[in-house]
Amino acid sequence: AELLASSQKNKRKDWIKLIYSSDLTPEEVLHGKKAGGDDEEVDDFFTIKHKSDMNQMEVLDMGKEPIDDAELEKWEDEELLESIRGLFITGDDTG
Amino acid sequence: MSSSLLAFSGHQHLRHRLVLSLLSGKHVKIDKIRPDDKNPGLRDYEISLLRLLERVTNGTVIEISVTGTALLLRPGVISGGPVVHECPLSRSVGYFLEPIIMIAPFSKKTLNLTLKGITTDENDLSVDLLRTVTLPHLQLFGLSDGLELRIKKRGATPAGGGEVQFLCPTVKQVKTLNFVDQGKIKRIRGVSHAVRVNPQFSNRMIEAARSLLNRYIPDIYLYSDVYKGDESGKSPGYALSLLAESTTGAIHCAEAISQPGVAPEDIGLKATRALLSEINRGGCVDRRHQTLVLLMMVLGSEDVGRCVMGEPTAKTVQFLRDVRSFFGTSFKVVPADPNDPESAQLSYSCYGTGYVNANRTLA
Repeated sequence: AELLASSQKNKRKDWIKLIYSSDLTPEEVLHGKKAGGDDEEVDDFFTIKHKSDMNQMEVLDMGKEPIDDAELEKWEDEELLESIRGLFITGDDTG
Repeated sequence: MSSSLLAFSGHQHLRHRLVLSLLSGKHVKIDKIRPDDKNPGLRDYEISLLRLLERVTNGTVIEISVTGTALLLRPGVISGGPVVHECPLSRSVGYFLEPIIMIAPFSKKTLNLTLKGITTDENDLSVDLLRTVTLPHLQLFGLSDGLELRIKKRGATPAGGGEVQFLCPTVKQVKTLNFVDQGKIKRIRGVSHAVRVNPQFSNRMIEAARSLLNRYIPDIYLYSDVYKGDESGKSPGYALSLLAESTTGAIHCAEAISQPGVAPEDIGLKATRALLSEINRGGCVDRRHQTLVLLMMVLGSEDVGRCVMGEPTAKTVQFLRDVRSFFGTSFKVVPADPNDPESAQLSYSCYGTGYVNANRTLA
């Protein structure tokens, strides 16, 4: 649980505002706006396409996101495996 | 029904925009579809999806520009009935079923759809998860009798050869959802399959998964699904799909698919760790089913629906924005437990539009 807590931003987000009244793309809403480099500011809703974007792999409209192998590695840790025991019926509430 | 036109740009989020258009009756225009790409315009699977939507509806007009970079959809009536569709090998049947599952309950007649192609791949939900996880999510909204996905043949990438049959009854109106207690995990189920490879692979994946899961609960049943001969498709492949169900019926899922040069044990462990990571995220709804649940909440009867889930995915954020464009409904998204700053759980609530399946009453 400690690992998870540190990886998450503890800062509270105002989700309603982020979703409905901001110009950020969905990715920016989730991961925060990229700092710096954005000289040519956004024209309303559409962003100017950067050269680097064009060479990237196309983002597919997918039903599931790719599994993050790095994220899964932490599950090799015995302590973490034990830490979620509370989420199962056999675990006690303190888990 | 209003016939106002909504305009969007880009190829992303195409599927849910088409779904929202068909349900709301609003025309939709999408331009700038891969304009700078070496191969501009719609892809074969997107064209195929449009064809499929044309088939399950009546009176839908789809206009695609010469270059394929723009399209206009004038939605017709969702008619249902028996449909057979051959999916291209560039995407699995999951790509096509996900939007179909969203509109099928609102068709005129019971939908009986046969899809042929790839049944499990890396990009979309496999038919196993669609059957064991997605369909139960519809039950939350009062859809259950006759809802079925039969896996007749499996088809792994790249050659496919699989076949599934999807049966979906119609509803007049969906129930309002009030799902705020995620409960505790009471059982774990799984389907492991191996086609055109050593059938023992399937058991090896199960054993690896059990090595991690046995510590938690005794109620684990991982089924080894065997398909032989013609039923196993044209390409070799294997995968493990897992789901965890809680005491209140919340379901979380994960799966992993065979990769060249990776042992079945590692695929099994990968799926299991992905499942644990999903369980750890918590919430009443699995991340991949956020949009489906939110859509049904919008279409629910005129009452406030509530659901507790984890943070929205990028797809969900755009979906929420598009829902507001099509239906004028916005969600209230607030921390589920304001007293616990550590909790990442959010409560999503909205006032249902009271959507009535007008197609059915005509019949």
